[in-house]
Amino acid sequence: MLPRLIRLPAFWVASGILLLILFLGVFGHALAPLDPLKGSPAVLASPSAAHPFGTDYLGRDVLSRVLAGAPVSVLGAVEVAGIALVCGTVPGLLSVYLGRAFEWLTLRIIDTLIALPFLVFAVAMTALLGNGISQAMLSVGLLLAPVFYRVSRAAALQVSSSQYVEAATLAGASAAWVLRRHILPKVLAPLGIAAAGAAGTGLVIVASLTFLGIGVQPPAPTWGGLLASDLGYLDYQPYAPAFPIALIVLTVVALNLLADVLRDASGQSGQVLLKKRALRKAAKKKRRVLAITRAVQEG
Amino acid sequence: MSAEAEILPIPHVARAASAGSSVALLRLRRVAIAVARPVGVFVPVFLFATFITFLLGAVTGLSPAYVQLGDAATPAAVARLNHQWGLDQPFFVRYWSWFSALLHGDLGKSWSNGVSVSELIGQRMTISLSAAGLALIIGIVLGALLGILAALTASSLLDRLITSFVSFISVLPPFVVGIALVAVLAVGLHWLPSAGYVPISAGFGPWLSHILMPALALSLETVAAIARQLRAGLVGAYQQNYVLGARVRGLGPRRIFFVHVLRNGAGPSLALLGLHFPNLLGGAVVTETIFALSGFGVFASQSALRGDVPAVQGILVVSIVLVVGFNLLVNILLNRIAPAAARGI
Repeated sequence: MLPRLIRLPAFWVASGILLLILFLGVFGHALAPLDPLKGSPAVLASPSAAHPFGTDYLGRDVLSRVLAGAPVSVLGAVEVAGIALVCGTVPGLLSVYLGRAFEWLTLRIIDTLIALPFLVFAVAMTALLGNGISQAMLSVGLLLAPVFYRVSRAAALQVSSSQYVEAATLAGASAAWVLRRHILPKVLAPLGIAAAGAAGTGLVIVASLTFLGIGVQPPAPTWGGLLASDLGYLDYQPYAPAFPIALIVLTVVALNLLADVLRDASGQSGQVLLKKRALRKAAKKKRRVLAITRAVQEG
Repeated sequence: MSAEAEILPIPHVARAASAGSSVALLRLRRVAIAVARPVGVFVPVFLFATFITFLLGAVTGLSPAYVQLGDAATPAAVARLNHQWGLDQPFFVRYWSWFSALLHGDLGKSWSNGVSVSELIGQRMTISLSAAGLALIIGIVLGALLGILAALTASSLLDRLITSFVSFISVLPPFVVGIALVAVLAVGLHWLPSAGYVPISAGFGPWLSHILMPALALSLETVAAIARQLRAGLVGAYQQNYVLGARVRGLGPRRIFFVHVLRNGAGPSLALLGLHFPNLLGGAVVTETIFALSGFGVFASQSALRGDVPAVQGILVVSIVLVVGFNLLVNILLNRIAPAAARGI
């Protein structure tokens, strides 16, 4: 799958953007040119050389706040996707092997999680569990788990009823061996697609929660919190929300693009795509060879 | 996203008509199955969801004493208030009394002011439901329009334009759209009021102008989902052999579209609508904050931040009931337009 992946240009675009965003997420605090919490008399200033993104209602440098807000927003999304991956995949794979009772129970829980209004539940859970960033991550991660449960369960069901797994079991392979050797490789691609999607959703949900002041208390900067404080001063700075919005949308677009590329490269459609590209390339080469031969013949 | 991929177009199976009273009997049985099956799915969901809701409130260890007294709560005062609210009883006794009251429509009393939670939610529900309802209508109409247009002009320039537009709006979260709408339509152009709510009794125009932006912000996700799924469903249905058969028999394009293609291709997007309804309710939490509507979403986040457990539980129960009810409705509709779907759930 990897060789196919690296031949798709969209993969390089998506991973380039994501690496950049991840860099912001890890080194955001260090990159901030000014103290993101320190105010100045220049309140609601327009963008200038000293403040490239302007200043907010307390005179704080917006660029510094955007950069310093990146860790919570970006690493939060990664963390949420990781929690959802573990909490969804493990019961998803086990539901195929641990018998009907476990299967029924997990299926009902997953049905329930899907039926719950996501954001309402995330807000309620985070605030009631103590309103901290780790509570927010945990509740959003749990609520995103159904996607991974379904994906891993579907793949495990499909593979476990196939003949080579039957043959392996007949030859004396243990369930753990079958899981590791046969099922895990099949599940990886759909899980990657789901993880990219979940990270995008997680980013938006974490931004929504911090926008509401849940999970992270002001004045600690987050992308959602920046939007909340911009909202009160739209009359003076209608362009201010554009900076955090651009970063959020860019990240989500890149994650969706990555999911699409993974889907293309892992499935049948990717092969068609690449075959088309190869055919086009071959035709181009043939045309060029023909043109050269013609030129040689004429000249 | 995965849900869209999982819903496959369901071929429409013509109703088998046999003679006499057995037809009536068969029809009765089918209606009974169509009603019983979703109920069999949704009753456990409702029970589980309400149980999780109650469990969530119970494990937080919050007490009305902290909500009412704040830092002044002494252990004696906490114990007295806990006893007064019945919180010193065993977990399952509390759960049962909460659940049986809930079945009678009583959601308990708010910890912060002692007012009935059902009443508090009821007051705010009109605002939220008018925004969510309008969002649903925009989502269905605009989504269906875009989806049908893209499917009818499949692989043309218009189709590509619509598809890329839909992909673009599908990544925009409601609160981003909401803020952008305020910045452009209210602050920049002064076309619409930026915040607040006017009841419909004060006139349809003012009501709509206050509710339009929140509804638009909420609806874009639904528009994208419906347009995408409907396009895929319709294009898939057009490739079926029965469409070729209908064409060979000389049926007009309009009849083929409405009778054969739309009926079979619309099922998955209708099912998707049921899956997206929770998002409409959830998005209300954020959009109501942006547009300063005092609906149930704002009530949810404020109560949650205050630690008002009965209010939060009440909100969750009401939204679960709304979601389950809406999905039941979608399932019944789905059975009406494509009877084969009744077997697939």
